[in-house]
Amino acid sequence: MSLQINNLSKSFKTPVFRDFSISFPEDSITCVLGPSGCGKTTLLNMIGGILPADEGSLEGFEHKVFSYVFQEPRLLPWKTVTENIEFVLNRELHAGERKKQAARLIRQVELEGFAGYYPAQLSGGMRQRVSIARAFAVPSDIILMDEPLKGLDVALKKNLIKWFLDIWKSDRRTVIFVTHDVDEALLLGDRIVVLSRAPAAIISQISIPSLPGNRDTDRDLLKTIKEKLINDLEK
Amino acid sequence: MRIFITKKNILTAASVLLMLALWKVLAVVFNSPFIIPHPETTFLAVIRILTEPGFLAAAGNTILRGVAGFLLSGILGVIIGMVAGISPGFNTFITPMLVTVRSVPVISLILLALIWFNPGTVPVFIAFLTMFPFICTNVSDGIRNVDQGLVEMARFYRVDNRRILTGVYIPAVMPFIISGASSAMGIGWRAIIIGEVLSQPVYGIGTRMQTAQTFLNVEAVIAWTLIAVLISFAFEKLIRWGEVNIIQWKAGS
Repeated sequence: MSLQINNLSKSFKTPVFRDFSISFPEDSITCVLGPSGCGKTTLLNMIGGILPADEGSLEGFEHKVFSYVFQEPRLLPWKTVTENIEFVLNRELHAGERKKQAARLIRQVELEGFAGYYPAQLSGGMRQRVSIARAFAVPSDIILMDEPLKGLDVALKKNLIKWFLDIWKSDRRTVIFVTHDVDEALLLGDRIVVLSRAPAAIISQISIPSLPGNRDTDRDLLKTIKEKLINDLEK
Repeated sequence: MRIFITKKNILTAASVLLMLALWKVLAVVFNSPFIIPHPETTFLAVIRILTEPGFLAAAGNTILRGVAGFLLSGILGVIIGMVAGISPGFNTFITPMLVTVRSVPVISLILLALIWFNPGTVPVFIAFLTMFPFICTNVSDGIRNVDQGLVEMARFYRVDNRRILTGVYIPAVMPFIISGASSAMGIGWRAIIIGEVLSQPVYGIGTRMQTAQTFLNVEAVIAWTLIAVLISFAFEKLIRWGEVNIIQWKAGS
């Protein structure tokens, strides 16, 4: 089954989406690649249900649980790493269960030594790792990611993608990742959808055969795809 | 760090010593206990006052009034400040009232309060009116400064409203409440003592100051002043201590 958006329209002062349709295969990573201001964040907000669509239908999203990884880590400065993760966990879980769950994710992003630290005591990359851990701590079906790597240097980006994929491979969820960065999309996506400027339309869709995370082996293929994507983005 | 603290202590001590030296010089120049008594005799007066039987009643009642006024303005200030911070309409509505209360001379408030209330209540009323606008404004500023990204994050993860209040809003506003409380207290103690001097409740530091002044007992006026300063200082320390314990997350990195 896939998640399907049909004939979506949304306008603020000008139309951002007009009769827009897109689908997301479950348990895979779809990267939505588009120029800044094309409505990528608006799309995520509509999918996540915090912004109503003017027209159109979202199928398969009902009763889904979402996680969100924002551009900034959005951690509560007055809570420790553990407390930040526990904060979003369902209260119906026993306190001990919440603690265990937080500890498990902290271990997965290798921040065990920092569980009791406050965000101000962590580096930017570590904070974003906590934000990723938080997203996986919730039993969500869909993880929405809004340019979480923007503004980080290349080495850190690659590192964060590695953390993310390591967890994802052992705990697969549908990921919708929006970005304007071709390299990020290539490192992370199973499938890349290129959007035009607003009102957004799909210019092209590419599925990448190899698993994300092990892409150093087929550089030539990636290079071809990259050139095509850059070309499409400029349309 | 340790060197810095030592240096700070030395400078603080130097400042206190300079004030004492100036006081001593003035006392020698004027050479009259009815104008400026000597520091050492004044300190003896402080000790005499601290050990006399009426001291606890006077200081205790003043402190009680201060705490009552503070709690009253604190509770109302936090509640109204929060509403004003959340609702722009309510904020527009309440702002002229706060500005008015803040602009009215304290002495006018006291003169009116003397007509309306009994002597023991006047200082509490005055303290309330002087402290309340400070706390209220600080809290509403604090609420407006809450990072909306964090609120959005919490809503996105379906955190319920009660926990958004206790987990996001209240901790974010806490530093503002504390700084509001700290500046409010400084003004509050002064307002309480002015209130007491003019309303003359049976027990109170202000009452004792007024009596001492009537008998030209300058030594006792200054001695009571020093005691009032110490009380104000102690409460300031208490608030700072609370700040360090409540906002420890800020100390990071």
